[in-house]
Amino acid sequence: MSRLHDMGGRYGDGPIPVPRNKNNQVENSEPTFKHEWHAKAWAITLAAGALGEWNLDVSRHYRECLPPKDYMNYSYYEKWLAGLTNLLVDKKLISIEELKKFISLVQEDNSTEDLKENVKLDERTWLAKDVQKTLGWGGPSLRKTDITPLHKIGDSVITTKYNPNENVIGGHTRLPSYAMGCEGKIFSYNGTHVFPDKNAHGIGENPLPLYTVEFKASELWGLAAENGNDKIYLDLWEPYLKIKA
Amino acid sequence: MNSNNDHNLHRVQGHKKDDAHSHLPSDPELRVKAIETLLLSKGLIDSKTLDELIDTYENRIGPQNGAKVIAKAWVDENYKKRLLDDATSAIRELSYQGRQGENMVVVENTADIHNVVVCTLCSCYPWPVLGIPPTWYKSDEYRSRTVREPRKVLSEFGLNIDSKIEIKVWDSTAELRYLVLPIRPDGTENMNEEQLAELVTRNSMIGTGLPENSK
Repeated sequence: MSRLHDMGGRYGDGPIPVPRNKNNQVENSEPTFKHEWHAKAWAITLAAGALGEWNLDVSRHYRECLPPKDYMNYSYYEKWLAGLTNLLVDKKLISIEELKKFISLVQEDNSTEDLKENVKLDERTWLAKDVQKTLGWGGPSLRKTDITPLHKIGDSVITTKYNPNENVIGGHTRLPSYAMGCEGKIFSYNGTHVFPDKNAHGIGENPLPLYTVEFKASELWGLAAENGNDKIYLDLWEPYLKIKA
Repeated sequence: MNSNNDHNLHRVQGHKKDDAHSHLPSDPELRVKAIETLLLSKGLIDSKTLDELIDTYENRIGPQNGAKVIAKAWVDENYKKRLLDDATSAIRELSYQGRQGENMVVVENTADIHNVVVCTLCSCYPWPVLGIPPTWYKSDEYRSRTVREPRKVLSEFGLNIDSKIEIKVWDSTAELRYLVLPIRPDGTENMNEEQLAELVTRNSMIGTGLPENSK
C-alpha cells in the first residue's frame, strides 16, 4: 500500500490549472512565488535543511507522512511548512512549547522585532555569503562504488509489488504504485545513487545501481491506455527490479 | 547488516495525536511568521540568507537559462551532441549547475517523438535551467494524469499530438532532472542564438508547449 502523495494514474482529478492570458493563450510566465509567504516558506525550508540535521529524502518523507486529511487540505507550501515543523520538533531544534509561544506572539500581533535582534547565530546556520557557493555545489546523489549493476541495457525486468521498501514497513520509496508489478525494459544505467528507501530513515546512504526503465503505456494501463505504444520512463533503483523469469 | 529479517525490520510509527504541525494556526501567513520568528530568535536561520535565496530564484535563475541551452543546441551541432550525451557537463559549460540539477538528462523531440516531463511523487524539476516549478506542474491534476493520459493533458495546454507521434513521459522518480530539447521552429534559419533563445518558452522545455512562432 502507498500514501496519498503517490498519485500517478489516479482517477478523479479535473483539468490541469493552465494559466491563460486575456487572449486565452497559455501563459508561460508567472511570478516565481505568488505570495510572499510562499517565498518565505520555501526559503526557510532550504535554510533549515542547510543546518545539516536531515537530508532531502528525510524531508520528502516527512511531507509524505502528513495525515491524509491534512495532506489533501494543505496547499503546496503548507505541506512544506507542516513537514518542516514536525522535523524541527523531532530533531529537537525547537520544542512544541516554543512553537506554541511564538504562535501566540504572532497571533496577538505582539511586536517580535526585539526577539530577532542581536541574536547570536548558531554555528551551523547558513550564511548569505555562502548561498551561491552551496547552491552551485548542490547535493549530488551519485556515489562512486565498486558495485557491478545486475541488469544490462535492454534486459526485461519486473518491478516489485506491494511494499518496495524492504527495510521499513510503510517507509519511503520512489517506486510509484502505478508501476508496481509491471514489466519494463532497462533503457539506461545511471551509476550508483544514494538509496532513498534507507536514506530517508537515517539508516545510511547505501548507494545502489539506478536505472531508467521504459514501460509501454499498454503495460501500465492496459486497455485504458490512450495509445498503447506511448512510453513511460521511471528512474528505479536495483532493489525495485526483478529479472523476468 | 542488510538483512531484512524481523529483528532488523523497522516500522514507521503511526501518527501521534500531538503532531507538531497540528498546533499551527490556520492562516498560512501566520504559520510562516511564527516559524520564521522562532528560528530567527534562535539564530538557526539568518534573514539575509532568506533574502539572497529568494532574490536568486526570482531574478537570476529561471527558464531564461534553459532557453540559452536550447538555442545553443539549435545552432551548434557539436554542442547538441554533447548535450544529449552528457547534459550535466554541457549545461555546466554555460555555468548552470548545482541544486536540483546535479544530474541532468536532455531528451530530444523529433518528427516522430514528443517528450513530456512530470514528477508524480512530488515536484522534482531542473532548478538551474528552469527555476522554481510553476503552480500547474505541482498540481495534483498534472501529477496524477500525465502518466496515464498524456495526450489529453497536452491538449489542455493547446498541444494536439498526432497519433503517429510517439509520446515519451519522463517521471522524475530519482535525482535525475529532465529537460526537453524542442524542435527548432521553421523559418528561423536567419536568427542568431540570442534571438532563438527568445522563442524558447518554459513549457516547451517541459514538453507541455512548443517554442514560439512554430505553430
